[in-house]
Amino acid sequence: MRNDNALEVTNLVIRYGDVTAVDSISFNARYGEVTAVLGRNGAGKTSTLESCEGVRRPTEGVIRVLGADIATAGNTLRARLGVMLQDGGIAPNARVRSLVHHYCTLHGRGGDADGIISKVGLTERTSSTWRRLSGGERQRFSLALALAAEPDIAFLDEPTAGVDLDGREMIRGIITDLVHRGCGVVLATHDLDEAERVAHRAVVLHHGRVVLNDTIEALCTNGRRLEDVVREVTR
Amino acid sequence: MKLVVAQWRMELTNLVRNYEQLLLILVIPVGVLVFFGNVDVLPETMNLSRLVSSVLALSLMSTAMVSTGISTGFERSYHVLKRLGVTPLGRTRLIWAKAGSVTVVELMQVLVLVIIATILGWSATDASWWRVAGALVLGTAAFAGIGLSLAGRLRAEANLAAQNGLYLVLLSIGGVIVPVGELPARLSTVAQYLPSGALSEVMYTSLGGESNSSLGAWIVLAVWAVVAPFVAARLFRFDG
Repeated sequence: MRNDNALEVTNLVIRYGDVTAVDSISFNARYGEVTAVLGRNGAGKTSTLESCEGVRRPTEGVIRVLGADIATAGNTLRARLGVMLQDGGIAPNARVRSLVHHYCTLHGRGGDADGIISKVGLTERTSSTWRRLSGGERQRFSLALALAAEPDIAFLDEPTAGVDLDGREMIRGIITDLVHRGCGVVLATHDLDEAERVAHRAVVLHHGRVVLNDTIEALCTNGRRLEDVVREVTR
Repeated sequence: MKLVVAQWRMELTNLVRNYEQLLLILVIPVGVLVFFGNVDVLPETMNLSRLVSSVLALSLMSTAMVSTGISTGFERSYHVLKRLGVTPLGRTRLIWAKAGSVTVVELMQVLVLVIIATILGWSATDASWWRVAGALVLGTAAFAGIGLSLAGRLRAEANLAAQNGLYLVLLSIGGVIVPVGELPARLSTVAQYLPSGALSEVMYTSLGGESNSSLGAWIVLAVWAVVAPFVAARLFRFDG
């Protein structure tokens, strides 16, 4: 029987020298839901996501992704992860079609590069390099690489940063599609309005600790906005 | 294997599209060979055989150290390595793909340079190609180790400056263009322990030249081929 949790983070600690960026946090993210990891700059969002992706080795704690310990993750698990890094991870001379196609090959999950490019609205820019794209197009290019995995869990770090309204709507639609096909989406964002629209659950970090962990529905009772709730606990 | 081949093709495509890298790995070695093969400005002992072996050493240094080091440094700073590290490719396959790409470029360089040297009047009849292959393997390990040690720690811009600076130093006083024996005494003592001087010497004897210091040069090169990758493995950070 499948566990409902696509991600299980238990007592995660991340230290950089003497600085504790993440201080013993625990939370889960379910399949078919968007879990928003929220907090101010330096709250530990990106460190947490990068540990979950397997980029960063945590100081302490256990992270289970799709039921397996990420510390010992093999290629089969990595093939199922969609990752969108905050800083892109794309070379300036990389061309849209060639790199998306390459990532489809690397993940080997039958992802259709042209279909993905069309989904993120870059069909007219297939031969453009990263350096020639606008900020919003770069975000969508980066998102396309995450989609190349046909992911069962997607880690998206600030996917709407620098994206215009149309682009946001497109990204929101893509996230909704992922959720509809049962993918667990873990989203780190500063954009609380976006989180309120798209997420099912919010995990709020403050100084490396979880200060709120609940469904959006439960947090935004009596007409309260998520922004007000988060501001209150991260003051 | 499929993933390594896919990444290897991507590495080669990126290289072909990067004109600065092509200048470094092809235009400069060919230019040095053609220029010094026709203009009589080098010491008398720097005959065509010496020049060919030196230019082969130079081309290997360009590819394994400078080209690999600079491109890897920039990939690190753009977080390309970090991004690839979370795909099924992983770090080990990425390194194999890079090694495969360097090997192809080096074989292409040897082919082009040997053809040009033959046109200039050099004969490969006395060459031991097995020993040349051994020199290429050791030299690649040594110089890739040096290049990646710098690329794995320095910021991209500092790495770029360091790789180019080291390239010029080794080119001019590292026993590449001017043989170790022709350098001033103090420089000569240092140069014989440098991988550049050792590789030139090893390449010279492998191509049929005679030298008293061949065994020493093989030992020096072998030591660099072990130590430099070890240091690189210890220093290298995938995340810039």
